Amino acid sequence: MATKQAPTRQAITLKGSTNLVTEFFKYAANTILFQRGVYPSDDFHMVKKYGQTVLVTQDLALENYLERILKQVNKWLLTGAVTQLVLAIISKDSRITLERWVFDINLVDQPADPAEPAPAKPESEIQAEIRYILKQIVSTVTFLPIIDDPTVFNILAYTHDSADVPADEWVDTDPLAIEASKSQQVKLRSFSTDVHRIEAMVAYRYEG
Amino acid sequence: MSSMPKTPSRFRSRSDAKTPLTPSLISALNGISLSPRKQTHHPADLSNPFISKSRPSSPIKRTTSGSIPASDSFHRQATVGVIRKGGVESRLDVVSRDYLPPPPKPELKRSRSTPATRERAQSGSDRFITTREDTEVAATLEMLSLNPQSSSPGHTARLAAATGVPLNRRVLAYHEPPPTSASDSTLSQHRELARPLYARPGALPSSNGTATSKSRKIPTQPERVLDAPGMVDDFYLNLLSWSSQNVLAVALAESTYIWRADTGSVSNLGEAPEGSYVSSVDFSNDGAYLGVGLGTGEVELWDVEAGQKLRTMGGHQGQVAVLSWHAHVLSSGCGDGSVWHHDVRVPRHKVMELLGHTGEVCGLKWRADGELLASGGNDNVVNIWDGRVPEAVGGDGAARGTAKWTKRNHTAAVKAIAWCPWQPSLLASGGGTNDATIHIWNSSTGARLHSLKTPSQVTSILWSPHRKELASTHGYPTNALMVHAYPSLERVAEIRDAHDSRVLFSAVGPGGDVVCTGAGDENLKFWRIWEGAGAKKKGVPGAGEGKEGRVKGSTRSGILSIR
Repeated sequence: MATKQAPTRQAITLKGSTNLVTEFFKYAANTILFQRGVYPSDDFHMVKKYGQTVLVTQDLALENYLERILKQVNKWLLTGAVTQLVLAIISKDSRITLERWVFDINLVDQPADPAEPAPAKPESEIQAEIRYILKQIVSTVTFLPIIDDPTVFNILAYTHDSADVPADEWVDTDPLAIEASKSQQVKLRSFSTDVHRIEAMVAYRYEG
Repeated sequence: MSSMPKTPSRFRSRSDAKTPLTPSLISALNGISLSPRKQTHHPADLSNPFISKSRPSSPIKRTTSGSIPASDSFHRQATVGVIRKGGVESRLDVVSRDYLPPPPKPELKRSRSTPATRERAQSGSDRFITTREDTEVAATLEMLSLNPQSSSPGHTARLAAATGVPLNRRVLAYHEPPPTSASDSTLSQHRELARPLYARPGALPSSNGTATSKSRKIPTQPERVLDAPGMVDDFYLNLLSWSSQNVLAVALAESTYIWRADTGSVSNLGEAPEGSYVSSVDFSNDGAYLGVGLGTGEVELWDVEAGQKLRTMGGHQGQVAVLSWHAHVLSSGCGDGSVWHHDVRVPRHKVMELLGHTGEVCGLKWRADGELLASGGNDNVVNIWDGRVPEAVGGDGAARGTAKWTKRNHTAAVKAIAWCPWQPSLLASGGGTNDATIHIWNSSTGARLHSLKTPSQVTSILWSPHRKELASTHGYPTNALMVHAYPSLERVAEIRDAHDSRVLFSAVGPGGDVVCTGAGDENLKFWRIWEGAGAKKKGVPGAGEGKEGRVKGSTRSGILSIR
């Protein structure tokens, strides 16, 4: 992944973009955990972000856990090693994957002609797009099947082979896919900075 | 041109089919079931996304052309001879040359997502139709249990191409599982603690002893306090009675006082004979006569208006601890457990005797219609008697009555007895220290309808004439005045420490809004607990200047000495 041609752009840099993306993941993960009831709603408190209120967990253990994961994801983003991030919601007892929230990470194509850099994407627009995604995540409650059993979540990162993986922290696992015949998917909105393009999709387990 | 095997999006509608594929060919190709498809039954759950059988529309779409970028590399792959399950896009190519692994290009690595992205973007109408993302398939070849390490790179690459699983992708998860909700148990603890906040106010005991429902404001301070020096602190006596003429009779040791609530005046009605004491008082239904029971067993009849004793009815062997009027019959409960009916009009007053108690009779109440009489005793028994009283009595022996029901549920002396004014068959009875329970009975069937456990001994029960509530006074240990709703028996109010000692006596005013309580602390307190419910308020007016009373202080909560 090429580093940004910083001189020609005043706009967002790679580092800035990765930070933005990582932050987005953090809030998206929190929103999903709250909406799907993985953690009791009392654990969450509201903060102002992206021009709206989002719910973030107060549970320190959970916060630290997410921090560690996202720190690594941040590193991978800088090198372009990670292609997809999945938040899988699994039933605690039966270990069946109930939902998979899939975030594709793509690189926005650099304009071939460096002499004419594309107009930088204003921060407000990026924020607006993120807002839309978060609102959409919240709105998925209308069609997602109700989850009654206690659940846990798992964050999976799809990386390249060549990615630099701290072996003691990350292990290869199975993708926790939903049984294909029972899976329904809905594609959500995406947002992009000038560097990254994040697509969101939710796949849920649906009987019948 | 064949489609990219790596982008199995069903509605990838672009293909660079260089050979124009007719619809028939399309469907034929769709019908091809290729071996990797069978691997979809692999437990790793590889339903091959390439099969587009279920989407009949998309093959048609796919024939519309569009270019897929980076198709050249895939074209090369296609020539390997693996039949693409893309259906439409697949070409039956003959293997003519060796497979050359495509040079790693960013686009190749992105092939799973970027082209699909573009295509999806282009096929805007299919936005929300489910897409079979390749993420559902085994994400890596290991999942396919096709061990890439053991095979040649070429084979691996072919497999990768065939199955759409990228060669060089890893699925990683953080080595630690996510923390369970740390607050699980503590939160439930907190919820338990917070539950009182959600409970009905008044449903739980409060620290300062008073609890009222939000909608009802029951004053926790008495409206008026009267000084009653000499009031005996004896559980078994009944020293308070409030007539329908709004006159309150109070027995203090051996004297009986009349307090007129309308004027606030106090008068001394009379004295018990030397050596005796007043053990009970009760007004007749019309309020004209007052029955006074003495410790020697006599029952006196006084004319209230005139202030004169009319007759003395003797015969009882023990103190007359409780009296109850019904029309012309005055019933008396004796220390020896007998209940006598006295017809006050005739010389031979004792017309009936009810023997149903082995302990002192401390609670006695006629039902308003005179059909039944309820009595409670120190033997923990509640008796409900047939109210028929013979008109005349022959001989000296009085008729014996029969108890309709005998209830032994209480485990302590039953002094608190009250009939419900709005539902005549209901009888409430309350037990003493050991029992502290209020039972509500259906006197017609004898069934026990409700039971309410209270925190302390029940000394008296009053039903509200206008609301569906009942008030109870208590002794040890709360000395409380409690109001309960009926039939829910929810606690409407609890006024703890209404008196400094056990609240032993109570009476409800004729207006049904004020309750008077008396205790051994020598106070009479008036509580306006059923304010304004129904009938005209015959409230306790401001204390005027009494003829014989010394008025101290303001009208409300002033101390008016009776003596």
